[in-house]
Amino acid sequence: MEKLRYKFETKNPIKNPVHIGVVASGDLEVIFRPTDSDETVVSIVTGSDGFKEVWQNVLDRFFARYPIQANIEINDFGSTPGVVNLRLTQAMEALKDEK
Amino acid sequence: MRNSFVELHARERAEALLDDNARELVGPLDNMISPHLEPQGIVPESDDGVVLMRGTINGKNALVISIEGKFQGGGIGEVSGAKIVAALEKALEDNKAGKTIYPVIVLDTGGVRLQEANYGLLSISEIHNAVIALKKYVPVIGLVPGRVGSFGGMSITASILSYLIATKKARIALNGPEVIEQEAGVREFDSSDKDLIWNTLGTKQRLATGLVDEVVDDTVEDIKKSVSDAIDAKKDAHRTEHVDFYLSLLDQLDPNKKLDIEGYRKLYPEVKAEKHVIADAVEGDKPGTKSRGRLWFEKLTGIKNAKSSVSTVLHAEKDGKEYVAIVPDADNKFPRVRNGEVGLEEGFAVASIVNKVVADDVDKDVKRPIIMVVDVPSQAYGYQEELIGIHVALGSSAAAYAKARQAGHPVIAFIPGDAVSGGFLAHGLQSNRLIALDDTSITIQAMSKASAARITQRTIAELEEATKHVPAMAYDIDNYEKLGALYKLVKGIGSYEATDENVAKISSIIDEAIQSTVGKPADLHFRYETPIAVESGRKATNAVRKAVFEQWNA
Repeated sequence: MEKLRYKFETKNPIKNPVHIGVVASGDLEVIFRPTDSDETVVSIVTGSDGFKEVWQNVLDRFFARYPIQANIEINDFGSTPGVVNLRLTQAMEALKDEK
Repeated sequence: MRNSFVELHARERAEALLDDNARELVGPLDNMISPHLEPQGIVPESDDGVVLMRGTINGKNALVISIEGKFQGGGIGEVSGAKIVAALEKALEDNKAGKTIYPVIVLDTGGVRLQEANYGLLSISEIHNAVIALKKYVPVIGLVPGRVGSFGGMSITASILSYLIATKKARIALNGPEVIEQEAGVREFDSSDKDLIWNTLGTKQRLATGLVDEVVDDTVEDIKKSVSDAIDAKKDAHRTEHVDFYLSLLDQLDPNKKLDIEGYRKLYPEVKAEKHVIADAVEGDKPGTKSRGRLWFEKLTGIKNAKSSVSTVLHAEKDGKEYVAIVPDADNKFPRVRNGEVGLEEGFAVASIVNKVVADDVDKDVKRPIIMVVDVPSQAYGYQEELIGIHVALGSSAAAYAKARQAGHPVIAFIPGDAVSGGFLAHGLQSNRLIALDDTSITIQAMSKASAARITQRTIAELEEATKHVPAMAYDIDNYEKLGALYKLVKGIGSYEATDENVAKISSIIDEAIQSTVGKPADLHFRYETPIAVESGRKATNAVRKAVFEQWNA
């Protein structure tokens, strides 16, 4: 298990919290929460050690597309970058549905 | 598969069962995360693998408790267990107040979460208590969709539920095949033989032998209809009340022949339930198989070389108290209970004894205290046991003790020996007060180290390292005390030191424990309320309970 933390300069604050996914084998859950802070913090607990750079790349791409400002928690049980991206995008969809 | 229920996650399953008004309690945004997983290097989940949802099922008020089988095999830990217990208790409170609400439990669980083993066992016994109390008001419907099924302590829960619906993708058993193979050898149960496993533990066989009530197709519509019909008809299989049937069945077994699937299918419908009364233990000519449990039973009751019609179950009344012990018998006809394990006959016999005590005292104002002498190294690990349904035997005894306590009998557990796993759930954990000797020989846990290491995919060395930091994983009574569940840990008396002086001391502690129940609720709340529990041992439990109570009526 490894704990990772990333910070991003973003500008679109979210209004409502959202939760997606299950900590199943090869899967993850993501939680977005509104934040008062002017930066986005992503806190990750992952069962697969040694993928710090891969996470950085996945998150860079995600925030390039969706520069949301939020507190983000991820509990990951060995998902591939594709699955991570899918769950993050699903969380965006869920945010849209609530608006 | 189109519109499959099994393929859904726990939250989607709860939503699928409820009408379009589901409201989740203590969900993923409430930050109720297991404090015990991360210190062991395991990724937690924000809902700890249990989803609680209120709403209606075809217009009737319902609480759906849905266990996520894909997170840590649906194992019950401190937080997930406390969520289930707190929600069931609120449902009980509402039903008592005339606000009918029907609980439905979706079981997809391996049982105790071995990384939080002691909490898992405590929680599961508390679930049993709440279910028994609820059944006086409403049926508690169980749904076992698969893929995990319902195993371990939660198979005992399955046996206690009013009515059990399953799909053919599920299995129900106390011990998983891997654990039986680990404990009893590959010749007892070959865990690589998938056909054997499914034909034995699969729901088709379970339906034919009374261990599930209905097998439905795996579609959301079919499953919701079955659940709704069960609620409307208030269906109840009374599965843990067929004690005489099972004792009669066991009388007819040929211990020299291994029972197989075909043989049991033939035997089951032919059995006629005959009344069994297990008489008080009497003095014998020769000593029984030595054990801590037998020693203390004999000393506390004053019966030398105690013997009984069921050689592994001793009971007797002394000074107005009913003592019950499960003991080893080196020559028992069931080989898997020879070391004092709780098997089929033990579970049903204890249930028969306790049910009779309750029936005898039904019109009395003061109910006879029941004292369990606990020395149970485990439940019996055997093929035949699983085929017949050992989880029902253990469920029958747990249910009997819970009913006795709820009827007003003080139920006290005295632990001079081991208190392990399903054995402890059946004989020990339904007590209002737990008293233990402070002796290093006592093992208190959910599984042997070898099996726990195998199932959690760690080495025994890694497991032992983990137990050092996490009392939830402990195997010794001193660490167990840190959970706060004990009424008293008695120092200075060894497990085999049953001198006259020590026996008198234990008797007076038992009497104090009985006195401490007078005028107090007959539930299991004592365990959350001791100073140790409040301070540290059940901190997460108490926080979860508070959150569920606050959110119950939104």
